[in-house]
Amino acid sequence: MNDARGEMDLSGDRGFQDVRESVYHVVLLACAVVSVLTTIGIVYSLAAPSVAFFAEVSAAEFFTATEFNVNIQPITFGVLPLAFGTIIVTVGAAAVALPLGLLTAIYLSEYADSRTRAVLKPMLEVLAGIPTVVYGYFALVYVTPFLDGVLPVELNTFNVLSASLVMGVMIVPMVSSISEDSMSAVPDTLRQGAYGLGATKFKVSTRVVVPAAVSGIASSYILAISRAVGETMIVVVAAGNLPNFPSGPGDVLPKFFEQTQTMTAAMVEVLTSEIGGGTVAYRSVFAIGLTLFGMTFALNLVSDFVAERYREEYD
Amino acid sequence: MTTDTNTDTDTVESVDPGLGRVSRLRGAVFRYVTFVASLVGVASLGVLLAYVFWDALGMDSAQPGWYAGFFLLVVAPFVGFVLRARTDAVAGEVALELFATVAGGIQGGFALVVVLDVIAGVDVWLSYFLTTIGPAVAVYLYGRLNRAASWTGLGILATGLLGPVAGTLLIGRIDVVVSGVGAPGIYLLTVTLPAALGVGLLVDRNEDLGDGRWATLALFALGVAGVLAADAVPGVSRSVWQLFVASFAAPTGYVVARNLADQERWSGLAGPGALVVGAGVLLLVDGPLGLVGPSPWFDWQFLTSPPSLTDPSTAGVYAPIVGSVFVIVLVAVFTLFLGVGAALYLEEYAGSSGLRGAVARLVRINISNLAGVPSVVYGLLGLAVFARLIGTGIGTVLTAALTLSLLILPIVIISAREAIAAVPDSQRRASYGMGATRWQTVRNVVLPRSLPGIMTGTILALGRAIGETAPLLMIGVPAFRRDEPTGLFTRTGALPRQVFTWADNPNPEFQYGVLAAGVVTLLVVLLTMNSIAILIRNKYERGDV
Amino acid sequence: MAKENTEVDAERETRTERTRAGDPTDTAPDQLISTDPGREGVAEQDDEPSGATETVIEAHGLDVYYGETRALDDVTIEIPSNRVTAMIGPSGCGKSTFLRCINRMNDLIDVARVEGDLLFDGVDVYADDVDPVALRRHVGMVFQHPNPFPKSIYDNVAYGLRVQGDTDDLDGRVEQALRRAALWEEVSDRLDDSALDLSGGQQQRLCIARAIAVDPAVILMDEPASALDPIATSKIEDLIDELAESYTVVIVTHNMQQAARISDRTAVFLTGGELVEVGPTREIFEDPEEDRVEDYITGKFG
Repeated sequence: MNDARGEMDLSGDRGFQDVRESVYHVVLLACAVVSVLTTIGIVYSLAAPSVAFFAEVSAAEFFTATEFNVNIQPITFGVLPLAFGTIIVTVGAAAVALPLGLLTAIYLSEYADSRTRAVLKPMLEVLAGIPTVVYGYFALVYVTPFLDGVLPVELNTFNVLSASLVMGVMIVPMVSSISEDSMSAVPDTLRQGAYGLGATKFKVSTRVVVPAAVSGIASSYILAISRAVGETMIVVVAAGNLPNFPSGPGDVLPKFFEQTQTMTAAMVEVLTSEIGGGTVAYRSVFAIGLTLFGMTFALNLVSDFVAERYREEYD
Repeated sequence: MTTDTNTDTDTVESVDPGLGRVSRLRGAVFRYVTFVASLVGVASLGVLLAYVFWDALGMDSAQPGWYAGFFLLVVAPFVGFVLRARTDAVAGEVALELFATVAGGIQGGFALVVVLDVIAGVDVWLSYFLTTIGPAVAVYLYGRLNRAASWTGLGILATGLLGPVAGTLLIGRIDVVVSGVGAPGIYLLTVTLPAALGVGLLVDRNEDLGDGRWATLALFALGVAGVLAADAVPGVSRSVWQLFVASFAAPTGYVVARNLADQERWSGLAGPGALVVGAGVLLLVDGPLGLVGPSPWFDWQFLTSPPSLTDPSTAGVYAPIVGSVFVIVLVAVFTLFLGVGAALYLEEYAGSSGLRGAVARLVRINISNLAGVPSVVYGLLGLAVFARLIGTGIGTVLTAALTLSLLILPIVIISAREAIAAVPDSQRRASYGMGATRWQTVRNVVLPRSLPGIMTGTILALGRAIGETAPLLMIGVPAFRRDEPTGLFTRTGALPRQVFTWADNPNPEFQYGVLAAGVVTLLVVLLTMNSIAILIRNKYERGDV
Repeated sequence: MAKENTEVDAERETRTERTRAGDPTDTAPDQLISTDPGREGVAEQDDEPSGATETVIEAHGLDVYYGETRALDDVTIEIPSNRVTAMIGPSGCGKSTFLRCINRMNDLIDVARVEGDLLFDGVDVYADDVDPVALRRHVGMVFQHPNPFPKSIYDNVAYGLRVQGDTDDLDGRVEQALRRAALWEEVSDRLDDSALDLSGGQQQRLCIARAIAVDPAVILMDEPASALDPIATSKIEDLIDELAESYTVVIVTHNMQQAARISDRTAVFLTGGELVEVGPTREIFEDPEEDRVEDYITGKFG
């Protein structure tokens, strides 16, 4: 056979084919690099105006002043009331989403049969897929009037409570899907070991599976909180546009029934009126954006770190 | 996996009662609590959806008699079918397929009209069809017929690169043809006819169905003859008719015919069939019987009128829809190209060691972090980098498309990577073992195998992009615009942006009427995209694709 | 369900272990008894013409590492053309690693590192100017599990010719390859059907057809029959016999009976990637020089 084939060429000079290979390699690499450029773009777009902003407004004022007011003199750029708004909304959302998400994950992972799971999981995915502006609309138009009728307190048209309830529903799937993954990753030998010792299903779920999956659950919690911190449309539509800082610890709870302004809502409010640019108020948006980016980035890193630890445990 | 362990222990208990009993009360309560908890979110969303659909369809204004008819003819058959579908998996599947095809066909038709007729215009479409799309399809088909033709891939690539140039030159030089044949005629030949031929091919391939030529002929005849019917309907031009025959009638006809040909699938047709018949009967009888039906906000007038801030009765979403379609089509093109490219690089080219491996690791970490950046921050990126630095303009179509593309790119890349990683390694080894190069392996083995998964992930991500509002606010998409965008650099309205504008209006006619209709428009688009994605995923998992 | 699963798994595991462990003990004594050294030894000498065929592949001091693990240890071997050479040895002994070195499939594994010389047709396979893609176009490969592409039968066989841009008389060469792989009679009327509709044995013969369609010099086979039933296996073995008339076949197997049946020469790898002995098949099975090889073949080892 060899003689029929003549000299074998192994040098692999295939002319056009080689060119094509390298062109595609470069094109695909360029596609992957776009994501790095995106990060650079985000850092650039946040940092440059922020630097200009802090040249005019001291960092001390930005991080300690308890008023945020860009329209009426004296103009004050205190991020604290906005951060308070973000935190109170996030706490409300977490109070709904974290327990519901965990219980959902336990049900899906430990109790549900495969048919129920096949129906329930896509439905939960739909929860996460509804546009947030629609959730905001639900909170404003349906949830707030309903709560106003049911609760004994007086509820503002724009209020933290209904925004955070609705936001909680929205982030349930985020908690439940990651938590369920980590529970499913708990080896069955652990469960069987516990059953072997005479544990009931309830004991196995709560004393064996949940503790074993705790880092995955924690990771999902942090990620969900990060999501709530960065959420914009629900609070813009339903929670109002008035920075609202408590006068003392006892003043915190009533704030749930009043309107507030989160960091994201303040960004929207200022930018929709100051789109022209060049003003301090315009730049303050980027300073708030940078703070927000820092917060969510830190939360995501912690979540990754926690999740990484759990992977090591069982792989 | 673990559920049956429960029954396991139950059996042990009942078989061996002599050993005494461990209290199961707490366990039973806990199980019940987890079950209820997992339904809370879904149920509350269901209630809210019911409210918004009720308002958008103006159900309040109907008479009790109409409700009775509606319940008997529409709700009861629907509920009955849902109960049946619980035990009959095929029925649910067929219903999903029908819903995805019908809703997808209608919305695809809408998008087609917007892209071809409103934004591009028939002369632009014809130019690119003649120079790019037509030749590329012809070369591809030739390659399928003539097995030895090895140059077809190169030919398609060349057409893709040179065609648009030639097409741009051709615009304006074919006015004679355009005015001679007329826009409907051009759509008939370039859109309806190819769709009819495609359905004919599918029918030919399906053993249960008859001769594909009849299907082609029937669809073509529908395109020609239906023009007369279309003339009678206000708001439907002959061009629109052609595009809807291609995007709605062709696929729906095929899906219905295929399901009719398979007796096992008849049960699935019963539900949708009963629903259509019920609704039809209701529409026929409510006039003669004097039943006053609902006065929906969400109707043809709403979809085809420009938005209004002051008059709820004439307000519509036409311009915002055109803007959203324009933006999303661009986003789809950008993210499909960039997302699949990046995923292919990371999975097939990068490797895991050395410098390339380090770069790839960096890119992977970077992508997962980008997926967690709030959308409002992407808006700032779009404003600072695209709108201002590069100069694509504040609130323009291009700025919106680029910003939303970057926003969903991480999701597209992550899902595409999963789909690519799911291609068995044995397939790659077989290809490399035959002396295929990396690209040949990617193109012939990896891409065809992972395409359904990639499509599923991309459609879901595009659904997210359609509803995103915060970035649009940041890049200055105008609160209100009556005109549809005409080019990449015109400022545009967008559906979610319009919804947000209306949300500010305390007038109840807006809050519970126009706004509800806008929300329903968004939700219908999203539900359709979700069901198409689920349909593709189901077929893919069963190995049909 | 979880409990049951593990039980089934465990059962399956013991079963496979049993077959693996059983192989040598069941077959090796058979071999030793059934061959008659007196008569056939002479024939064997004729069958092993030391000078008549040239060496296609030779390795000198070949080492392969997967990260820190050594998979091949100083392997030196010459593989003659137009003969069937079998590689046998216990699991994880490096025989498949050696096979994958020949067409540089190890390049696809990131952590693999190759040292030493491996010559194909006198050219160092790992030289800088050798392109693995070009090399693989001369060295076909058939894998353990049949892995046809989810395309038509025709497109599977034509795949190699197409990627090499060599599409003259495609129909004729597809038919020729299918005939040589003894599959033509079974599929000639349904070339456009999906290859996945074929049975496992037919799929593996299709993979062989796919490999020989591009007319390679060498065909590497990595346990090509281990996933098939006995009837399909015997068809593949007959086929390998015929292929040796035109091609150099290197086959990895851990079925020693199979190696004895179909190969002209046998190389025995033992744990640690060491090539312990190589020689004419009969000599290896009847009178190995190394005690360790005899232990392995009679089932005392492995």
